[in-house]
Amino acid sequence: MSYGSTIKVPFGPQHPALKEPEHFLFEVDGDTVVSVKPRIGYVYRGMEKAFELRTYHQNMYLAERICGICSHAHTTCYAQAVEELLGSEIPPRAKYIRVIIAELERLHSHSLWVGIAAHEVGFDTLFMYVWRDREAVMDLLEAISGNRVNYAMNTIGGVRRDLNDEAVQKIRGVLDRFEKNVKGYSEIIGKEQTFVKRTRGVGVLKPRDAVSLCAVGPTLRASGIKSDVRLDDPYAAYDEIPFNVITDDGCDVFGRTVVRCGEMLESINIIRHALDHMPGGKLKVSVSRTVPPNETVSRVEAPRGELMHYAKSNGTTKPERYRVRSPTLANLAAVCQTLVGVHLADIPIILAGIDPCFSCMDRLAFVDRRGGAWSCTAEELGGGRGQ
Amino acid sequence: MIAYDIFQMLVFPGILFLFCLAFLYEWIDRKLFARVQSRYGPLYTGPSGILQPLADFIKLLAKEDIVPAACDRHLFMWVPIIYAVLPLTALFIIPVAAQTGLVAFEGDLIFLVFLFALTTIVVFLAGWSSMNRFSIIGGVRSALQMLGFEIPLGLAIIGMAIAAQSLSISEIVRWQSGNWWGIWLQPIGFAVIMICILAELEYVPFDIPEAETEIVAGWQTEFGGRRLALFRLGKDLETVLVSALVAALYLGGPQQLGFLPPVAGFLIKSVAVLALLSFARALFARFRIDQMVSGMWTYLLPLAILQIVLIQFGIGR
Amino acid sequence: MSIAREASKRLFSKPSTLRYPFEKPTVPSGLRGIPVWSMENCILCILCQTTCPPAAIKMTPKGPDAGIEFRLDRCIFCGECADICPKKVITMSDRFELAGDDRSKMVYSYKKTLHIIPEEYCVRSD
Repeated sequence: MSYGSTIKVPFGPQHPALKEPEHFLFEVDGDTVVSVKPRIGYVYRGMEKAFELRTYHQNMYLAERICGICSHAHTTCYAQAVEELLGSEIPPRAKYIRVIIAELERLHSHSLWVGIAAHEVGFDTLFMYVWRDREAVMDLLEAISGNRVNYAMNTIGGVRRDLNDEAVQKIRGVLDRFEKNVKGYSEIIGKEQTFVKRTRGVGVLKPRDAVSLCAVGPTLRASGIKSDVRLDDPYAAYDEIPFNVITDDGCDVFGRTVVRCGEMLESINIIRHALDHMPGGKLKVSVSRTVPPNETVSRVEAPRGELMHYAKSNGTTKPERYRVRSPTLANLAAVCQTLVGVHLADIPIILAGIDPCFSCMDRLAFVDRRGGAWSCTAEELGGGRGQ
Repeated sequence: MIAYDIFQMLVFPGILFLFCLAFLYEWIDRKLFARVQSRYGPLYTGPSGILQPLADFIKLLAKEDIVPAACDRHLFMWVPIIYAVLPLTALFIIPVAAQTGLVAFEGDLIFLVFLFALTTIVVFLAGWSSMNRFSIIGGVRSALQMLGFEIPLGLAIIGMAIAAQSLSISEIVRWQSGNWWGIWLQPIGFAVIMICILAELEYVPFDIPEAETEIVAGWQTEFGGRRLALFRLGKDLETVLVSALVAALYLGGPQQLGFLPPVAGFLIKSVAVLALLSFARALFARFRIDQMVSGMWTYLLPLAILQIVLIQFGIGR
Repeated sequence: MSIAREASKRLFSKPSTLRYPFEKPTVPSGLRGIPVWSMENCILCILCQTTCPPAAIKMTPKGPDAGIEFRLDRCIFCGECADICPKKVITMSDRFELAGDDRSKMVYSYKKTLHIIPEEYCVRSD
């Protein structure tokens, strides 16, 4: 290595810092990152095409498996999209149950993130502690829905399972204990100087950049911008439940940690409010199998940010076109911006700071070394119709 | 007698005993680290998993030995052996089973500091010879880390030498049996040496050269099979070395405790030091290399100098 | 709570890991484990086959020897078959230790014993 030259350090597709495979090529000068080139496409599964080959009812389970951690967010978004295509309204009890499960999922996703962030900075003890306490939420979800991930609670027209009194009691008990744990861990994170030194001032994303690069979720809220789909465009029962949107002015990874810990406490309050005010009634309405021609966009606030599904129907039992835009895809440009000029040692925690879920996000990537732009029409790609 | 000397050198308290201690200390470290984290640690190999380090060693010996095509072959071959042998050599001068070590001469403390420096150079060469960008970064970080901790470590070691008026570890141990232990006389020095030891062993918060989430395995990335087994053995021997060193300098070393032989006193004290190290390992996150070096020079070096100044004024002699 | 205090507490308490497979976890009653058919009430309407998202259920062979063939390696444990069965033949059991290394052992064939009505009870219109 001669003075002044840079070396290229590849992160991924297999790397201990990344929980899912993507490729980031860093150009490093000494200890400082000069540039970063992301390359995606390693987990591409052809989901959007798979949606076109199955009926709406079967697609519910495909949507669930787009991602493991935010599976309920995907099914809620999907169910909302199809219900809008059909023009049907789900019963109020179903809306409340969707909210409760969504907030429980936010709890388990954010505590997973706290553990992973601690692991990325070498704080394995906090990682083990948080994941042990997260098991309480997982066991609760298993008791309510039948599975620890992929809850399959949603169906087109409502929900499949009910929350009986025993389940409600169990939820309240778990929430009380979990709230104490979350408060304890927030205190540890705030006081532990090694963690604070690794995350404060690291991965700074100024508010103007955050907005212009279309960041979403806690990444955006940690730059001081109050933007949350549950507030701006309420879905399910969020228009009836009061809650606070947590923001922080830190603009760095520590700010994102604070936002997520605050969101966990807010989720606990939302669940308690929903349990107190849950209406009775039916769980679902029956819907027809064929969907009239229509198109719609549905948005939910997944734990990672704003999740959008676009659906287009053509009067048959299978969708004509379905598109998923997950929050990590929106945050990717923002995180690449924050990665320039940092120390090499900060890369894992900054990448982990956006809570990357590359399986939701992945797109087909076409690498053309001859350069130049290219485009192809829908007909060349196979018409976009099923088969 | 020659036969007795060879027995001492090879079996007790020589090489075989030190290898057993190395595996035992690794087990203690892993069990403590695991219990702090609410997990079991090694559990099934032998009673309570005590044979796990030995099992890992044997498994690694049986694995395929891959040598990267672009590496520096000679260095790549010799570095693991030297890394395993250096702490073994250093352990001969530290009293383990009696008041004097197997080898004792005036100035063996300086020899020990020299061996510490050699170990870091060997680590750097290990990273350099692998010709892998992660290894190079790890090796460079290790050398940079030594810049941070070496001077406070030297000062903390010298503190006790000044008090005992000798540069031989065996003399310092003998001096402590007639006076107070080093930890009561020089508590600041004890704190400084414990922190520097964490950095020397590359334990969290100073496991920067081997940061798993950043540079895969740091300077050990390209080594596998027998070479990795030797590296791990070297690391375990280093653990024994530093806990033995702190026990000898600050806790009085092998002393007769009632009816127990001196080696029992040594074991208890060095295991106590090891327990403190393992517990400290579990409490912190990892520093960045620039934070580590600047923190060492800003905070630890003045503390070490303060200790030496206090000794000159008569406190802690 | 500070981390040092928490760490000292945990050092002396029982670890949280289960010593699986010597200690088994307790699973809740609503767990969606492997679906089980009780063929007495099955009417072979094959609604389960139509609705199964990964096509893990098949009625085979067609004819008097018909039965339900269930492929465990395709099942996604969604529970749709159990929900849609009109005779409540399928229950999602709580068996979840289903790993194996041989796909041929993962095909479950449930045979339907058909009762043949004796000739004298048949009503014929001549």
